[in-house]
Amino acid sequence: MSILRPFKASDMFKFNNINLDIWTETYGIGFYLSYLSRWPDLCCLQEAPNGRLMGYVLGKAEGSGTEWHGHVTALTVAPEYRRLSLARKMMALLELVSEEIYKGFFVDLYVRCANSVAIGMYEGMGYSVYRRVREYYGSLGIGKGGRDEEDAFDMRKPLARDPHRRSIRPNGRDIIVSAHDVS
Amino acid sequence: MSASSAALERQIRPIYDALDTGSNKSAIVTCNKLLKKYPTNILLKALKALALIRSQKVEESLVLCDEVLESKPTHDGVLTAMMHVLRGLGRHNDMVTMFDEAFKKSPSNEELGCQTFFAHVRASHWKSAHLIATRMYKTFQDEKYLYWSVICAILQANDISTPPAMRPILFQLAHRLIQTSPNPSYISADRFHLHLSLLRQLGLYDEANKLLDSDVGKSICATNLSCDELRREIWQLQGKVKEEGQRAELLITEKRDRNWLEFLAVINATFNEEDSDLLKESVQKTQKIFTDIAAQDGLKDRSALLALIEVEQRAHERGISQSPPVSLMEEYFEKFGNKACCFEDLKPYVKSALGNDLSHWTSFLESKLTVPETIPALQEVINALKLIRYGLTASEITLESELKRVNQYAKLYFETISLGANLPSTELQPGDDLVLLAANALISAWKLSQSTSHLLTAINLLEFALTKSKHCFLARLVLIRLYRILGAPLPALEHYRALNIKQVQNDTLSHLVLSRASTFSLASMGDLTLSTECLEATQIYLSNSQETGDFIVRAFNAEKYSQIPEFIAFEDRLDTSLQRDSVKMEHLRMRLTHEPVNSDVIDMELIELKFIFDRVHHDNRDFAIFPNYQPNVSDSLNHQTLLFGKEEGFPWLSAFLKIYIRILQQASDLDDTVEEKLLIGDRPKPAAESVTRASLSERIQNFTPEELSTLTSEETKLVEYATSLSGWLGPYHDYARPPPSVVLAEAAKQTELKTGHPLKGIEVPPINGNGQHKKDEEPPAVVDAPESVAKHFDGIRERFETVKTSDSVVDLLHVATLAQEAFILLVTESTRFKSSSVVKMNKFGALATNLKDLKAAAQAVLKDISTELIKRGESFNNAEARKACVDASNTDISAYISHDFILNLAKKISDSRYKILEGVGKGIVRVIALHT
Repeated sequence: MSILRPFKASDMFKFNNINLDIWTETYGIGFYLSYLSRWPDLCCLQEAPNGRLMGYVLGKAEGSGTEWHGHVTALTVAPEYRRLSLARKMMALLELVSEEIYKGFFVDLYVRCANSVAIGMYEGMGYSVYRRVREYYGSLGIGKGGRDEEDAFDMRKPLARDPHRRSIRPNGRDIIVSAHDVS
Repeated sequence: MSASSAALERQIRPIYDALDTGSNKSAIVTCNKLLKKYPTNILLKALKALALIRSQKVEESLVLCDEVLESKPTHDGVLTAMMHVLRGLGRHNDMVTMFDEAFKKSPSNEELGCQTFFAHVRASHWKSAHLIATRMYKTFQDEKYLYWSVICAILQANDISTPPAMRPILFQLAHRLIQTSPNPSYISADRFHLHLSLLRQLGLYDEANKLLDSDVGKSICATNLSCDELRREIWQLQGKVKEEGQRAELLITEKRDRNWLEFLAVINATFNEEDSDLLKESVQKTQKIFTDIAAQDGLKDRSALLALIEVEQRAHERGISQSPPVSLMEEYFEKFGNKACCFEDLKPYVKSALGNDLSHWTSFLESKLTVPETIPALQEVINALKLIRYGLTASEITLESELKRVNQYAKLYFETISLGANLPSTELQPGDDLVLLAANALISAWKLSQSTSHLLTAINLLEFALTKSKHCFLARLVLIRLYRILGAPLPALEHYRALNIKQVQNDTLSHLVLSRASTFSLASMGDLTLSTECLEATQIYLSNSQETGDFIVRAFNAEKYSQIPEFIAFEDRLDTSLQRDSVKMEHLRMRLTHEPVNSDVIDMELIELKFIFDRVHHDNRDFAIFPNYQPNVSDSLNHQTLLFGKEEGFPWLSAFLKIYIRILQQASDLDDTVEEKLLIGDRPKPAAESVTRASLSERIQNFTPEELSTLTSEETKLVEYATSLSGWLGPYHDYARPPPSVVLAEAAKQTELKTGHPLKGIEVPPINGNGQHKKDEEPPAVVDAPESVAKHFDGIRERFETVKTSDSVVDLLHVATLAQEAFILLVTESTRFKSSSVVKMNKFGALATNLKDLKAAAQAVLKDISTELIKRGESFNNAEARKACVDASNTDISAYISHDFILNLAKKISDSRYKILEGVGKGIVRVIALHT
């Protein structure tokens, strides 16, 4: 049982069980407030009935012309609430709002190339790799995971406004751009 | 543009560049150079003031700042620079005046109007912000300003300084205004939200329904969670339970919505029936719907099955169903027992539905306790163990049974450790919860037996688990608590650092190491680790006051009205955070152990503490984060592992504030009138109800039973001591304190010496002769110290003798550090009477002797305590102590862990105990030297 509701500023007092996890970054308060002050409808969370937070998503709308789209900046679920399709539900809302309110052509997100579990999950939700962004996650030298650790896949899912699916391409994994070329 | 002004502009640009890159020094140099050429240029002065404030040269900046303000600037660049200066000084009220004046001079400047509006917003002047927005709407005809004026009226209504009787009037005003909007509010979701929240507030449900039932209204609620949240509330307030249920049912069945709120809506509608036959029918109907959904969803979604449990439980409560939902709970466990959340999901039903009849349920769970061979199977066993433990009755919780459980959990942990062997090192291990369960049981065993050996065993297990699962933050949280209880603050701090606490987490989690941190402080020895930790943890409050206002302004600009009250509440919760001020208190307690008590320290701290005392505090501390797997009938893990078993909450803070404010007030020369004149910047806003309150000095004299109940017995003794001490010395302070005119004259002299400018706005009356003053009354007769003061240190000596023999290091530290604190309070109280001229003039010779004797007696006791602490510390600095530590831990468990590992931990604990005892011991001697 999970409650889907808007992410509010005061949820920052409650997100420790999500953010103490190694994969979730805690940013300055300005980061969260800047999203909430512009795209509050693209920020939501899942909460257990006892008030414990389970996961959240922060998104924004950006781009110009046919590149106008919804972007997933952060999507995270606390360790104890994984494998419950919570991410899927939050993504569904973000896609709905990107489509109906922002009239975007697609939704996109970045994921570490090494994170095959997440990539598989997003593929299951209809996302596909659009391009590979070199050194998106910083260039700290090649680690154990090789380039896959620092490179990101930019994954996209076309929305109704893109009926011909022009925002995606089949050979996205082979298209490599540098981090400077993306916003 | 004239040639010279173009030249000046070119010359000013480098100043901006320097300011942008943080080269404040070079900005000042350039300013000075240009000021020689253009001595009256206001922009240069404003920029110099900014550079000065950024180089912490507050006093010099103030002079320039006042000069610029006096010129009533209108120039864009000057206003912007001054905005930053005044924000840096916390002078929002002056900023408001500055913009007001400028806007008055050019009322058609829309940009300036906005800036003025935002200045009021930043200062939370909702009333005047409302007026400005109204005026701007009239002048510039932008609908946005109308909505600004609406929300400002609402914010004013909700402000603490607004009298309750004014509130409804303001809401009605806002309502009247919103109705005048040329365009309907539904053209934007956030305007719509604002409109709805106003209607909800005023109870105008018909009007709200009209908005909500319109097609646009429906479509907004379908895509905007915030608006839908409001709609839900408004329907609920109208008692539209049935309609809400029907709406939710459609969402669940047709749109496949699985939001738990929709299920709850259907359930609430189902039970909104008085007649028992009708109720039965409606329950059956709902059960049918949910059963179908549950079958459809299978293992994909757990909501429908849980909803069935909820229905059956409520049916049971209402007497329609004979039995509690045990069989459904079992079905749920069979299906979702391999998900980590199963325990949390079923917990409420174990508590409320099953009551005392847990036997069937427990035996079902026990049948699940097989040796698991896969990770999901292990998760299922863990859930069964957690649920069994949660349901334990009081009689089942004995030392023996708890230790048996410890072995059960630990054995299973080590047997299944291989299941997670192939996971990447960044992943959590599937068996981590077993160690946490064992730690819970060991802590319970410690509570039952008072034997710290169980805590040592818990540490061994948790530390071992961290070697396998290095990111298991839950283990670290428990370890921090345990190490502190054992008097080993160093490893506690290491684990805290490993948690990588950042930003806002400093507010919610710094309590882990900073609550009663002065117990472990070595500041007296010059080791400022904890003191620095306090300062670092409070950075977040600075960012809050610097940044959050910007985002409130941004939310206004972007018209995100749903967010504005949230941001304001957030800002306020951080600004008036309990943790913030508890840390401040701890920091002061540590500060006085390494800094001499002089009038600067006394005055500054006093002013700050007084501000804090009248705050309405918010407790943002996160205790829910602890892995609490204790039985429902037991105390929570958090509660069990509090240092000294006492929470450091509002009453604790209030008690310590009272002690310190009273003593600092007596030691200080500042009375309220002087303080009012010397203090720069804004004062905290008084709450509407504060008018009827007693004066501060009255309020700090007495301690409430609630305050006393959160203190340790040693802290209570300190309160009694401090109260008698200040009660005794109060009259002498009041008599000997120089009159306000003398204090002001002295302050003016000091300022002029420092900055070369006289103190502004203060008229110093001429003083006769050498600055001494004659009193009309005779000095109060000197009496001996009351017994509670005179005998305080004797009492400490006795209590120290008792704790000396116990094995609790932390109790020893507690008595010692509070003895030291009592001494520092005595020193603070007697600073005034150190001066021989004060003593002579006021005929306080007997008092001075009295104080000297008291201090000497206190020092004697402190020196003995110091020697004893050092001796006790030494006893931990050898192999025997480590061996004792190793031997104390549970042998059944140590069999699984290598001897070296346990020995290393023992060494870590002993070393830390040695260091802290020796440090505090030696520190006491330094404190005596510092304050004598």
